[in-house]
Parts: sequence; C-alpha cells; structure tokens
Amino acid sequence: MDLGLDVKERNGWAVLSVQGEVDVYTAPQFREQLIQLVDQGQRQVLVDLEGVEFLDSTGLGVLVGGLKRVRSHDGDLALVCTQRRILKVLEITGLTKVFTIHDTVDAAVG
Amino acid sequence: MDRVVELEIPARPEFVGIARMAVGALAGIRPGLAYERIDDLRIVVSEACTSAIEGLDESSVLKLRCVDGPKSLEVRIEAPGSVFESAFPINEPEPEADNFRISLIRALVDDADLKASPERTELCLIMHRDAASDEDVLGGDLPA
Repeated sequence: MDLGLDVKERNGWAVLSVQGEVDVYTAPQFREQLIQLVDQGQRQVLVDLEGVEFLDSTGLGVLVGGLKRVRSHDGDLALVCTQRRILKVLEITGLTKVFTIHDTVDAAVG
Repeated sequence: MDRVVELEIPARPEFVGIARMAVGALAGIRPGLAYERIDDLRIVVSEACTSAIEGLDESSVLKLRCVDGPKSLEVRIEAPGSVFESAFPINEPEPEADNFRISLIRALVDDADLKASPERTELCLIMHRDAASDEDVLGGDLPA
C-alpha cells in the first residue's frame, strides 16, 4: 500500500497532493512531508485530499499536527476536498470547523 | 444462514489495510449494506486494529472473526492482554472532544461491545443490514 505525495508551488502556497490510503502505516510519510515543508520555510500549505481513497484518525492527527506546526510560525494549512467519504470523517470529528476547506486548488490559491 | 470468515494478522501497521480490505469485501457480498456504510465499517475496523496495535508488540497477533448474517455483520477483533482503550474506553460517557478515534467509532458503527479478561480483549463491532430478501433470510444462495 503506497502513499503518493507530490509537492508543487502555486502562488506562494505549497500544494501537497496526497494519493492513496492514509492510515497508521502510511501516516508517518505524510507527517514527515508536512514537517519537511515547514522546516523549509513554507508557511502557506494546501493539502489536496482529492486523491485520498481512505483516511482514518491517524491521518486526521497528521493534518491537525501540521496545522499546529504552521500556525506556530504564523502560517496556515488549508485543505482541498470534495469527496463525501472524506468530508464525512472531517464532519464527525468537528474538523470542518477547524480547517478551511476548498473545492479546488485553483479556488484556494486564487 | 451465517457465514463465518476468520483472519489473523500480525499486530503491525502494514497489516491494518489487509484487515479493512477483507472486512470491506465480505460486507459487500450480501445485500443490505450500502457502499457508504461499508466505507464506515472499513474506517471502524481500521480504528480498532490501530488501537490494538498501539498496545501490543509486533510479535502479537490480532484475530478477526466476521459473522456475516442476513440481518447484521459482526466483526469480532480479539487481541491478547488489555487493549482497545483508545478506541472503546470503559466508563467514559462522552468522548474527549479531540479524540477522533472514539468519535468515529461511536458515529459509524451501529453497536459495539467490549469483553475483557486478564488474558485477552475482544471488541465486537456490529453493522445492521437493511431489510434482506426472504430468500436470503432463510439462508438461500447468493444472487447470481
């Protein structure tokens, strides 16, 4: 089970596209990538979840950890997500009120 | 007629995906669980297995026993020792606001039960199926 992680720069945002299943096995790669982005000086991070096929609480923990990390540097972490299955997990855990969630990368980066 | 499928996985992170894939595939064989509900079950199984793994060493084994009946699907996850606290705390009426695992399990599974002894712990997750056909309830063969 592989996790795809791809980073692109768009209008000052680091856009991290995630593909595959995010769980206890793959979450460390995801976490490490977010940490690396912040350590490289990225303060506006957009995580594109459109390619995510599965996300559980381990993945949510990575997202929240990433958000705390960028906010500690006066930055922000937003999400791109339109998938019902992923939005449902975010809604149940109250995270739709924590993250700014966009429909597309273009809408997020302006 | 109930159908029983059993699976044993090493208590290691790379096997959690196999557990949820197997349970998800089984859940879809018989009618009565919509695709979204099967997705819910996959999440709950993943949460439960992850919770167990966090409390076990990697040489341990998780036993999954799935009882697939016409009215419900039960997934029993058995682990040695005392595990599952982070997934199914006893004597805690409301989950902590930031405990995503507990929130997801409580929201996504129809019933859950924890049986613990000094030697092992078993978490039972139950999903009720929508009304099944008479033939299926009576134990008929699966539709072609």
